[in-house]
Amino acid sequence: MVRPSRSYRVFQGVNGVVLTLVVLVTLYPFVNIVARSFSGERQVRAGEVTLWPKGFSLTTYDIVFHDSMFWRNYGNTVFYTVVSTAVAMFLTACYAYVLSKKHLKGRTALVGVAVFTMFFTGGLIPNYVLVTSLGLKNTVWAIALPNAISVFNLLVMKAFFESLPTELEEAAQIDGLSTYGILLRIVLPLSKAVVATMVLFYSVSFWNSWFSAFLYMDSSDLMPVTVYLRNLIAGATGGGNAGATTEQLSQVGATIQSVAIVLTALPILCVYPFVQRYFVSGVMLGAVKG
Amino acid sequence: MKNAGELSRRQILAAAGFIGLATLTGCGSGDGGGDSKDLSKKQNGAMKHYRAGQQFKATKALSFSMLHNDNPVYPLKSGWLFWKEVTKRTGVTIKPVDVPLADYEKKRSVLIGAGDAPFLIPKTYHPSEVAFVSSGAILPVSDYVHLMPNFQDKVRRWKLEPELDSIRQSDGKYYLLPGLHEKPKSGYSLSLRTDVLDKHGLSLPTTWDEVHDVLTALKQEYPGKYPWTDRWSTNTPFPCGALFQYLGQAYGVKAGWAYDNLSFDTRAKKFVFTATQDAYRQMIEYLRGLVAEKLLDPESFTQQDDQAVQKLLAEKSYVISANPQELVQNYRYNLNKQVKGATIEMVPVPLGPAGPVLLSGIRLENGVMVSSKALKSSDFVAMMQFVDWLWYSDDGQKFCKWGVEGVTYTESGGKYTLKPGISLMGSDPDAPKDLQKDYGFFNGVFTYGGSWELVSSNFGPDEKKFQDAMSQRKELPVDPAHPLQSSEQEQATLWDTPLKDAAIQNTLQFVLGKRPMSEWDQHIAELKAKNMQQLVDLHNKAYERFQKENG
Repeated sequence: MVRPSRSYRVFQGVNGVVLTLVVLVTLYPFVNIVARSFSGERQVRAGEVTLWPKGFSLTTYDIVFHDSMFWRNYGNTVFYTVVSTAVAMFLTACYAYVLSKKHLKGRTALVGVAVFTMFFTGGLIPNYVLVTSLGLKNTVWAIALPNAISVFNLLVMKAFFESLPTELEEAAQIDGLSTYGILLRIVLPLSKAVVATMVLFYSVSFWNSWFSAFLYMDSSDLMPVTVYLRNLIAGATGGGNAGATTEQLSQVGATIQSVAIVLTALPILCVYPFVQRYFVSGVMLGAVKG
Repeated sequence: MKNAGELSRRQILAAAGFIGLATLTGCGSGDGGGDSKDLSKKQNGAMKHYRAGQQFKATKALSFSMLHNDNPVYPLKSGWLFWKEVTKRTGVTIKPVDVPLADYEKKRSVLIGAGDAPFLIPKTYHPSEVAFVSSGAILPVSDYVHLMPNFQDKVRRWKLEPELDSIRQSDGKYYLLPGLHEKPKSGYSLSLRTDVLDKHGLSLPTTWDEVHDVLTALKQEYPGKYPWTDRWSTNTPFPCGALFQYLGQAYGVKAGWAYDNLSFDTRAKKFVFTATQDAYRQMIEYLRGLVAEKLLDPESFTQQDDQAVQKLLAEKSYVISANPQELVQNYRYNLNKQVKGATIEMVPVPLGPAGPVLLSGIRLENGVMVSSKALKSSDFVAMMQFVDWLWYSDDGQKFCKWGVEGVTYTESGGKYTLKPGISLMGSDPDAPKDLQKDYGFFNGVFTYGGSWELVSSNFGPDEKKFQDAMSQRKELPVDPAHPLQSSEQEQATLWDTPLKDAAIQNTLQFVLGKRPMSEWDQHIAELKAKNMQQLVDLHNKAYERFQKENG
């Protein structure tokens, strides 16, 4: 093994320091938000909270957790995210696979159709009229279907499929696999990296989305938790509207934003480490091939 | 011959298409016109002889859809006593379309734009209804108020016609059923640390000159501090919106949150530009004096509300703008926790050159729009009667606010007391039930306005003292109607915003002393270069036209 040169070690040292700084800068706001969410109202208002909670208080969490609507809406979010991501993955994978076939007739037109929607949309009201007249309102489909294909994700996936060697598929064909067999048994297992990435992209975007639900749902029972928290923030910061006792209200007003951020970000944060594995392996795969 | 035949066939086709189109569009406008006169086919469920003060009860079970603004403090529940009791008393079931408060306006526009709006669209603040007028999607309700005896009765008794005129559009009609107040309700004023005043032998100021004296005295005691720091400078184009609004009121001009480029000069009988009035200049000079003498914190005009409150709580200053809720729930509550022996009081708005007056137009509240689709329904008359009872009758208003007598409250001699175990806005922290959350009363969608007796029935002691003092004052006359036509409106909008920005920016520059008062004439010249005169002329033209056409 070659001993790393002196300049390389210096570079590594500098690299380490710089990257650590970047990590700290990136992490700080999030740690600060978490600390604020557990802090007392006076300390938050005075701007005393930095990395560690001061004047520890769980009042806001308590109020949010004891609201049955919060849990119902959280359930809705999970449901909408799972269904929408499944639908989106199915449609995007099928579309991208088809587009990756160079011999497909009318391929350019199919790509064009997708790309066209990247630049032009029908606008808010026509979309609303469409979804309403299809009878999708107040169902999960109003959220899942209009957002099922993200063109960006589609193009990324298409590029990945194109990079797979055609010989593999030809070999599978000779061994007697049908078109669907090739997709399910050969192509998709080889595409775990891109599939995992897409699942993450889609689920994060569905998890955080609130606008379609807000637009197409007519009852608070059907809203995702993002709409619930958004409304809670508006109410708590909207002044004079007292509902909780004065003491609670003041505490809620001070920390509700940070509590909301923590509660919505937490599940995605928990999923991330498991999916990240695939990113790394995906990058490695590309690297060895040369 | 053949040629001619073909041509004529084409012509026939074209003509047929044209006629079809004409009938279609004709139908659209004809519907409204014809039906507005003839309501005989829309009487389903309506009461034949419905009068003011009478209980409305539909002759058949009916239901109406309604947009519901969902307040997170009391999220909608289908089990609220309110819904059940409405149906019991009136035979009408309200079908709410639930919209989160945070984005109520956005969803309302989409629903109206898509033709999917519920029949009743409450919680609409003038002038946001104007945007929907030209589309024809909402009803000119002024054509149908003859179906609403309670509404008409209150307008007549409380002399609200001038206020209603001010929301009329260029066709002379209004498109919003506003909430009606018997007396103007004031919101904001100055609050001062009374314990600090007492310590130095000062008393609460009643005029703006006295405010200046009190601040000067405080400055002498605490030379290193700004005695007054203020708030409500964010989320508004006009910083210190509250302060400018009530200070402007003392000078008889529209400023702060109430700022509008146009003001009516009652003596000259024409509109003038607000920020160039003499009284407006005097107001600027007064405030400029306070800033120059370091009595008012210059950061007031830029800081966040929290920062201002923090300065008050940390005793860096002793005076701040307030409303009754903020006074009790924020300042006093937090001061009690942090500063021993601190007391704080809100004074009635100090008097200025304009004397004991109130700005006009505050007797109208947000209100209800009615979707044009409702007119096509055979239940239309019953619906208008229902709206009249629920939102405008004394009984309906009392019911919406306090609930059911004997169940949620008791009343004796005009004093309302909640039943034990029911709390309202934290009045009884140990109560198991809440009037808003658990029963659905005191809901902002239904409860606003009304007689002074009803409006004041829930005031705390501080608010009562403040409102009693303020209600003695005389309301300035309402600006006469001057609705623009849609082409004028577009032009006016182009001039209006830059002028407003320039007026506000320069108001602040003069107040903060960044611009000498000697440049005042130059400032007016700059406004003129931004089409100030054209805007004023446009509105005066609209005013004269409206006078001619509608008397």
